[in-house]
Amino acid sequence: MTRHLGWLGFVLAVAARSALGQAPADHNRFEARWPLDSDGSVRIVDPAGRIRVIGWDVDSLVVSGRGPGRLAAAGTVGVRKLVVTGRAELEVHVPRGARVWVKSASADIDVVGVDGTLDLNSVAGAIHVVGTPADVTAETMDGPVELAGGSGRARVKTVSGDILLRGASVDLGASTLSGTIVVRAAGWQRGGTGVQRGRFESVTGDVRFDGELGRGGIVELESQSGAIALRVPATTVADFDLVTIGGSITNRLTAATAGRGVLRFSTGAEGGGAQVTARSFKGSISLDAK
Amino acid sequence: MMCNEWETQLNEYVDGTLAAEARALVEAHLAGCAGCREAVVELRALVAGAADLPKRIEPAQDLWTGVANRIGKRETGSGKRWWRGALAAAATLVIGFAVYRLLPPSAAHHRPAGEGWVTLQAEYEQATDELTSVLAAERDRLAPATVALLQRNLAVIDAAIRESRDALARDPENVELRGLVASAAREKVELLRWATRVAT
Repeated sequence: MTRHLGWLGFVLAVAARSALGQAPADHNRFEARWPLDSDGSVRIVDPAGRIRVIGWDVDSLVVSGRGPGRLAAAGTVGVRKLVVTGRAELEVHVPRGARVWVKSASADIDVVGVDGTLDLNSVAGAIHVVGTPADVTAETMDGPVELAGGSGRARVKTVSGDILLRGASVDLGASTLSGTIVVRAAGWQRGGTGVQRGRFESVTGDVRFDGELGRGGIVELESQSGAIALRVPATTVADFDLVTIGGSITNRLTAATAGRGVLRFSTGAEGGGAQVTARSFKGSISLDAK
Repeated sequence: MMCNEWETQLNEYVDGTLAAEARALVEAHLAGCAGCREAVVELRALVAGAADLPKRIEPAQDLWTGVANRIGKRETGSGKRWWRGALAAAATLVIGFAVYRLLPPSAAHHRPAGEGWVTLQAEYEQATDELTSVLAAERDRLAPATVALLQRNLAVIDAAIRESRDALARDPENVELRGLVASAAREKVELLRWATRVAT
């Protein structure tokens, strides 16, 4: 009986395949599922296409996707490696607390709802993270990077891609050579602490920080030739130390005025405030109230 | 030599991720194939070697002492391809890390003038030369678009370094300028390090 059922299944499968037509070679479909620890590690290599990683409340790793490329997988419940040869569009569901490592050449990387550690690398693809991961490292040469939601610690690096950091993050670092950096740092309103440590540096791109500084936080901004713009709440308590060698400084936060490319002043009582440092070689520096 | 068609199974066999039936098939094959048996021994050694790697590599104590002596007493306060590729990556990592430690951002603005600064510049030159050599050897492995991007941005960073160095030559005691030159140099080393890593 079992044997007959087996044959019946085989015949039905062949019939279905004939009816639907064989999938074209450039549309291989992937569909696989494995158990994965809630804090398990997932390593994904997908050179080209798109990778979308979604955190969910299930201790399983599910991969679906398609592409001319081929998918290989190996691993255990603690760590699993997914390797695409060629080009593919992947959607990967991982436990919310998973550690995710992705490497691509030109594939765009999207991560949504993962609270663990993210290590995302691309050469030319864009990187987009939404959620509150504990730790993010994102590097791409040519693509843009956007982190939205906030993280405990984030380190972002591009060569020419623009960087946008939004949300309630504590420890932020971003550096680019010719891209721009925009930080929109939410603070106490969202239950965060404001930026406790931030370092943002660019060579030719503009650097803009718009948001709340953490009490006692340290924020450093630097650009060789790009403009630096700071916009903080009028009630901010901080020591400001702004220097540009060949540019100008505009202060609309307080009445303090710059002399010969240097502006140093404190708001509020001395001590306990944030420290803000901005350095530029020939770019302008502006300070405004939000 | 390992049979190509068995490569995936042998890897999974060593990783312990094969089901019992597949494992038995692999073992049957291994019984009659010396090349694959050798490959399994090598793969096991690789896995064991990787497992033994430390999670974190700290520089030798005397490295930072030497660096600190050169840049002054002030503390930062606030702060065949496979082997060639592996060696290049290791060299890159060491150089990049050393330069990163040499030029801590928060200390850059306050670094004292004198011998330390000259030494730093020399070490930066050495680091960029070494990384440039590694990159030149591996350049064919980069996509043409990446090479173009790299060249474009190297030109940008070189121009920035040249400009700030010229300004520093006119105002050699300006610690802010010195900090900006150091930052630009660090950016260049980081860019080369990155490109080398991608290439290898």
